[in-house]
Amino acid sequence: MNEAALETEKSTQQYLTFVLSGENYAVDSLSVREILEYTRFTPVPRMPATVRGAINLRGSVVPVIDLQARFGGSRTELNKRTCIIILDVPDEDRQQSLGVLVDAVSAVREIDPEEIQPAPAFGSHLRSEFITGVVRMGERFITLLALDQVLDLEALGKSANSEGS
Amino acid sequence: MDMDEVLKVFIAESQELLQQMEEALLMLEHAPGDSDTINAIFRAAHTIKGSAGLFGLDAIVAFTHIAESVLDRVRSGELRFDAELTALFLQVRDHLGELVRLVDEGIDLSSLPAEVQPLHTQLGDCLSRYLPSTDSQSQLRATERIERGHEHGLSADHWHISLRFGPDTLRNGMDPLGLFRYLNTFGRIVSLVPVLDRMPAAAEMDPETCYLGFEVAFYSDADKATIDGAFEFVREDSLIRILPPHSKSDQYLELIRALPEEDMRLGEILMRCGTLTATELQEVLHTQVQSQQRAETRPIGQVLMEESLVQPPVIAAALQKQQQIKDNRNNENNLIRVDASKLDRLIDLVGELIIAGAGAQMTAQRCGHSEMQEATEVLSRLVEEVRDSALPLRMVQIGATFNRFQRVVRDVSREISKDIALSISGGETELDKTVVERITDPLTHLVRNAMDHGIEPADKRMANAKPAQGRVWLNAFHDAGSIVIEVGDDGGGLDPQRILAKARERGMLNEGQQLAEKDVFNLIFEPGFSTAEQVSNLSGRGVGMDVVKRNITALRGTIDLDSKLGQGTTVRIRLPLTLAIIDGFLVNVGQASYVIPLELVEECIELNSDEPFERGHLELRGQMLPVVRLRELFEDDSPRPRRESVVVVHQAGLRAGLVVDQLLGEFQTVIKPLSKVFSACPGLGGFTILGDGTVALILDIPSLLGQLTRVSEAPQRARIEA
Repeated sequence: MNEAALETEKSTQQYLTFVLSGENYAVDSLSVREILEYTRFTPVPRMPATVRGAINLRGSVVPVIDLQARFGGSRTELNKRTCIIILDVPDEDRQQSLGVLVDAVSAVREIDPEEIQPAPAFGSHLRSEFITGVVRMGERFITLLALDQVLDLEALGKSANSEGS
Repeated sequence: MDMDEVLKVFIAESQELLQQMEEALLMLEHAPGDSDTINAIFRAAHTIKGSAGLFGLDAIVAFTHIAESVLDRVRSGELRFDAELTALFLQVRDHLGELVRLVDEGIDLSSLPAEVQPLHTQLGDCLSRYLPSTDSQSQLRATERIERGHEHGLSADHWHISLRFGPDTLRNGMDPLGLFRYLNTFGRIVSLVPVLDRMPAAAEMDPETCYLGFEVAFYSDADKATIDGAFEFVREDSLIRILPPHSKSDQYLELIRALPEEDMRLGEILMRCGTLTATELQEVLHTQVQSQQRAETRPIGQVLMEESLVQPPVIAAALQKQQQIKDNRNNENNLIRVDASKLDRLIDLVGELIIAGAGAQMTAQRCGHSEMQEATEVLSRLVEEVRDSALPLRMVQIGATFNRFQRVVRDVSREISKDIALSISGGETELDKTVVERITDPLTHLVRNAMDHGIEPADKRMANAKPAQGRVWLNAFHDAGSIVIEVGDDGGGLDPQRILAKARERGMLNEGQQLAEKDVFNLIFEPGFSTAEQVSNLSGRGVGMDVVKRNITALRGTIDLDSKLGQGTTVRIRLPLTLAIIDGFLVNVGQASYVIPLELVEECIELNSDEPFERGHLELRGQMLPVVRLRELFEDDSPRPRRESVVVVHQAGLRAGLVVDQLLGEFQTVIKPLSKVFSACPGLGGFTILGDGTVALILDIPSLLGQLTRVSEAPQRARIEA
């Protein structure tokens, strides 16, 4: 690898982009473990809308999170293109895998940090702490998600507490 | 084996020995002068000193040496273990524990950290006070030396040690250099001649094999047992001969004979050590020639036998001690130390095996191939056996944990000046190691609570016609697939009125809300609840019981409390035996499968659709049974089948029926840990993976039972803010 390539490697970062109810989102590709075509998951009763159920990922049980519900919308409708993105999030000193339901996975994109604009203070349908920034791609905007906030295990558990009873 | 690993073993062993020492010391408080117990303390100190010497941990060696000397005087009857000395030795034990901990943290003990140095010196001084002054010590040595002189030995006034290390010495983690360093802590090596006869050519040499031998001239006032003790860890496969100063010429001859090298050469080595003078050597070799002429060449076995018969009286004591150590070691030989993570890995694999086995069996049944089915039957029976023998590997007795509380109770009772005795029962009850580790903190809290708040002051006890000495007890037993641990006291008990008043004051209860007595007691496990009027440094800070409860719940356990005003309190903790695998009972509701721990299932009955149960109750053989439809509980809106079944579950005296669609039978279940995301889900105990790869939910029966019975007793139960 020549130095110029190293340069670009340093300055840009890879993101996985996906679509959820017509909006484009991106997550840091380093957090992505794998993408599953929609598989049947086991629903877990008495859980809030954000937690849909659990799947068996090669012997370990992974919770499936409904992102749309987490963003304050209704539950994601399942269709043929529905995917589960498996993401690794830190849980104290370990990594915990979580699955998130999305309508469709688009692509892996290199994004230059300089292209990233700060999250709009208002006018977004998302809570501002969920967003690290916004990137313009042609006609569309892509929202970069702050995974540590969106998939905060404590908060997911807490919302189970308040909504579940 | 690298040094770090050996050091870890040293640390683990020292901690164990210190634990034994503490138990023995506490025993001495009740039976002072028991020689077995005193010997146990001495052995522990001695072994720690010996091993510490091998690692060059001089601070520990020097400190333990003083302690050992004091113990020696106790053994010989010059001192007695009174309360003061016991207390001192408990401090000594704690200090040693601290030193070992420092070693564990990788801190260099050659200069002690400032925070332990003062105590180190102070304890050393305290110990030294129990030792005779140096004057009498040297006197003692002088008489010894005169006695030795009587034997008309040769001129050498030092010990002579012949060492031929076994080939595995280095591999066993022993370092000859460490041994010499240790020898130097109680004497001086005058000269040291290596014997390299066994060293092969460089090409054939294995760097991990030890080929070394040494002839050592060692000047020391120590006795034979001490010097012998230095070699305790290499004795097994090495050849070690120790001759006291001024030994007789035939003893040297025996030595020369017993060592593998050629006699002449060995003689020269001895000369170089300064052990023998040239004339003495000649004399010795001359004797040898004579004796050879007398008896021709004797078979080596005979020589060795004779040798073991002709033991000088000095060695007799050491020999006895050696035997003792050997007995101990034989016991230990039946045990293997295994890294806990290896066991965890094994249990995990057994878990996967069970899932795979269940999958194979299911497939075989679906194929309808009878031979295949038989084969999987056999397989699953074997898997079950593997599981049953793998799980106990992680089981440990709770006794060791219980015994630790002797010290806690002793210390705390002094601190709060109450006379309290701890009694322990059921120590042989076994449970999972992980559970044991995580139960210690909650137990400590409960025991302290019982002592601080439970037991009344002596005058109040006397006034209530109770014995002045308070009693706290720990008990454990198995019950329906769980282990029950009780922490009890014969103290004042809980006053339900006071708890209720407090709960109202804190706004934890609604006005006019009625609670059963048991529920009142359980209020003290709620966050922010404490009835202690004055806060001591032990407990009563208002945090605690809720933390205890949280720890227990995290282990899938439950905690409840019985109390009689004026008679005492018993806290009962109920824990699952293992956190890994259970026998489950698989049921079906709509599309979902649920697992109920088998040992909680009492019976299954068919639900007669003609008699719909009213208001959540069903009559079972004349008794009212609270019943719930899992379908309704879990908000499953799939249509109800024509026939349903009731699974009757029970735990801790509570019974309830769960209505399900289908009974799928017994199923071995691997419990997958519950992600934090699900931690707030009521009634969910964990997940498991079925043979076909789908995820099934394990029901948390205790929490479901709690909900059901509470709902049926007090439907207006107030929600207590979590």
